Parts: sequence; structure tokens; C-alpha cells
Amino acid sequence: MSLAESLLVSGFSMTLVFFVLVALFLLIVIFSKVFGKTKAGSEQGSIQGTDTPAQPVNLSKSPSGQDMSVGTLQLKKVDEKTAAMIMAIVSHESEVPLSELRFKSIKLIEENN
Amino acid sequence: MFIDALKTIWFDSGFAALTWQHLVMIGVACVLIYLAIVKKFEPLLLLTIAFGVLLANLPLANLMKEEIDSETGGLLYYLYLGVKKGIYPSLIFMGVGAMTDFGPLISRPSSLLMGAAAQFGIFMAFTIANLLGFTPQEASSIGIIGGADGPTAIYTTARLAPHLLSAIAIAAYSYMALIPIIQPPLMRLLTTKEERKVKMEQLREVSKLEKICFPIVVTIFCVLLLPSVAPLIGMLMLGNLFRESGVVERLSDTAQNALMNIVTIFLGVTVGATAKAENFLRLETLAIIALGLVAFAFSTVGGLLIGKLMYKLSGGKINPLIGSAGVSAVPMAARVSQVEGQKANPSNFLLMHAMGPNVAGVIGSAVAAGILMALFG
Repeated sequence: MSLAESLLVSGFSMTLVFFVLVALFLLIVIFSKVFGKTKAGSEQGSIQGTDTPAQPVNLSKSPSGQDMSVGTLQLKKVDEKTAAMIMAIVSHESEVPLSELRFKSIKLIEENN
Repeated sequence: MFIDALKTIWFDSGFAALTWQHLVMIGVACVLIYLAIVKKFEPLLLLTIAFGVLLANLPLANLMKEEIDSETGGLLYYLYLGVKKGIYPSLIFMGVGAMTDFGPLISRPSSLLMGAAAQFGIFMAFTIANLLGFTPQEASSIGIIGGADGPTAIYTTARLAPHLLSAIAIAAYSYMALIPIIQPPLMRLLTTKEERKVKMEQLREVSKLEKICFPIVVTIFCVLLLPSVAPLIGMLMLGNLFRESGVVERLSDTAQNALMNIVTIFLGVTVGATAKAENFLRLETLAIIALGLVAFAFSTVGGLLIGKLMYKLSGGKINPLIGSAGVSAVPMAARVSQVEGQKANPSNFLLMHAMGPNVAGVIGSAVAAGILMALFG
């Protein structure tokens, strides 16, 4: 195969790879929007955030309960976002799915100098 | 009499049939075993491949002997049929699908662009291999090393250039293990410190319904467009549907663990067993290893360049380091993005963001393989 033919095949193939993945990109965008609207309609007003520290949070009531840890979690001087990050890190590092872990409490440890 | 008996035993043994080529291949096998056990280079596959190399190069063992007429073939010959017929790579893809969370990709579908750009190395290596005198089938198989996806490389090579299978499989898995060494210099070379520091916004939550629909939509679209990728994409998405449906826990578990482990043993040993001295000890093996590195490097560059483009277009919201994860190698390439991102900014957590391009790369390399098989198969 000559250089020109090789470049032609490579260019064509790379374009086709892009075409397929861009088409998938558009498909995902479309179905995400469709499902997003469906979900928003059915769950409107059902989710309430809690920013108050040291308040029990029932994670099993999370909208994506399947991937979540179960049970009641005590957050002490830790916001929910940080707690979620800690739980995800523990799950990743221990290689145990979040659904199989049970967190009882997450609290901020203040150093006494 | 006794001496004659000893002579017969000696001449019937493999020792008498040993050649220097066999000894070199036994040495290669021992080096690969060392790399797998001591250096932990992709040990699951490299160890089994290495032992396959060892078994195939012990003369008179005839483990890869073909079945001729009524004469029974060797054990590994029968197991090798799973590679030859494309069964093992497809089953491995099912396990990969069952282990993969496509959530980060669904959450940020633009990751697919990085997964596409990171296939650039495949076609760069394909072009160079053609120039070096390889046939288009061989060049396609060599190029696919740049997809950084072992099963795809084996599947494509078994179909297009089976005589190169051992060299390509060993190169692919060795380079995948070397990703933490190959990618970081390119990442630092092609990005500025400002770009590497970028902290990305949290990914949106992906609903269960989206995760269930994803494998179905991808299968329908990809297989209709490129029927040649059906075994790989079909099995990948079937495994993922097992995982996401939540109703076939046992099947998902089997695909991820028992089946995956069994197939890994068969695949590794038989691919290694194709590395017979007469096939492997050639100059073209060195060329394949060099071209594999070229393919890997250009795939990384392709991902990084589109990452930089997306950084510009998004107004600095996308860290271009995640682009290099577009080469498949799940999750090693994503981990490299995380490590490099954290070096530039210790509070940076890129892992989940990099998983999007990473799993997009699996789809991208399967699509690239499908195109090459459709063109040259």
C-alpha cells in the first residue's frame, strides 16, 4: 500500500471513528434530556437538602439509592458534600462498593494545640 | 545394553532437541515471568502469557500440535481455538462491561470526543507500518496496539494477522503496564501548568434508567453501523446491562469474576504459546514493539490535543490531562491523569472525570478495530 493510500485509509477511518462517537455523544445528550425531563417531572419537590452539621442523614432515601451506603449517618461539623467525597474515597481505596459499606458517623477532628 | 537405554532416553528427550532459539525463548519467558511477578506488569495476563511462551518452546512437548486426520492435537491447540475464533476476547469484553461504570461518560458525553481522538495512534502506526512493508492486515493489527486494549488487539490480530499474535499481545500488554512511564512526559510536554491545575466541576448524577438504556442504545447504534464490531461491543454492553439492570446479580458476578478469570487463563496461555522461536525471533518482532510504542505515544498525544481544544472551548473548565485517559487501559490511564493533576494542584481530583474518556476509549478502540476489520478482513 502506498503512502497516499495509507493516509487516505487512515484519514477515512479516523473520520469514521469520530463520526460514530460524535453520533453516540448526540444520542446520549438527547436521551439524557428526555430522561432528565421525565425525572424532573416525577421528582419535583421530593428532594430537600440539609446543610446543618451534626444532623442525621438517611442515605437510603437518596434518589439513587442503589449505589448508596445504607443506614443513618451522623455528620458532625462536616457538610454533606465533604462527607460524600470521603465515602467515595473510602469505597475506591478499599475497593468495596459503596452499597456494601455502612458509615455510622463522620466527624471533623479538631487538633488541640 | 544399559548405555543404549540411556542413549535412547536422551535422544527421545526434549534436551537433545533443544536449539539456541529455544533457549532464547525460554529466557524471554523467564524475563516476562520476572516482570509479572516482581515488577507486577499486568500480572494477570503477562504471567499466563509468559508461561505459555515457556510451554510452547519446550521441544517435543507438542502442546500446540494441530489435529491431523485422526491424530489428536496438543492441549493448547484446542484451547487456542477460543482465540482463533474470537471467543475469548469477546468474553473478556463481557467481564469488562460488567465491571465498568459508564456513569462518568453519560454524565459528560463530550468525553467521547477524547475517546475518539485517542485512537489517532492506531492510524499513525498503521501508516508507518505500511511504509515499512507490512501488509495492510499486519499494519492494522500493529496499529491497534495504540488502542491500549488487549482483548481488542488480540481479537483483531487473530482475524487479520494471526502469525503476529504473540508479538502484538506481548507488546500491547507490556505497554499498558508501562502507561505510568510513557504518558506523564507527554502530558507535561503538551500542557501548561495552568491547564494542569484546572479543577473540574462535579459530575451530574446519572439516573439508573439512563445507565440501563445506555448499553442498549450503544449496541443498537454501533452494531447496525459497523456489524464487524458486534462481538466486542455486543458482549461489552451485555456485561454492562447485567451490572446496571440490578436484576441478574449472579450473572454480573460470574461475568466479572469466575468467567473472566477462566477466560484470562485460557487466553493468556494460548496467546503465549503462539510465540514459538521461529515466529518470534525475527526482526519484525522488534519493529512491532517499536511501532507499538509509536502508536501508544500518538494516541496519548491525540487525546491531549483534543483535551486542550476542549479546555479552550469550555473557557478553561476542562482539564486537558483527562484527554490522555482516552486510550483505553482502564483504569490505569485515568489514574495517571489523577496523579498528574494532583502534582499540579494537590486539591485536584480528576479520577472520576478521567473515567469518562477512559471508557469512551474502550468503545473508540473497538470501533477502530471494527473499521479495520471491515476494510481488510
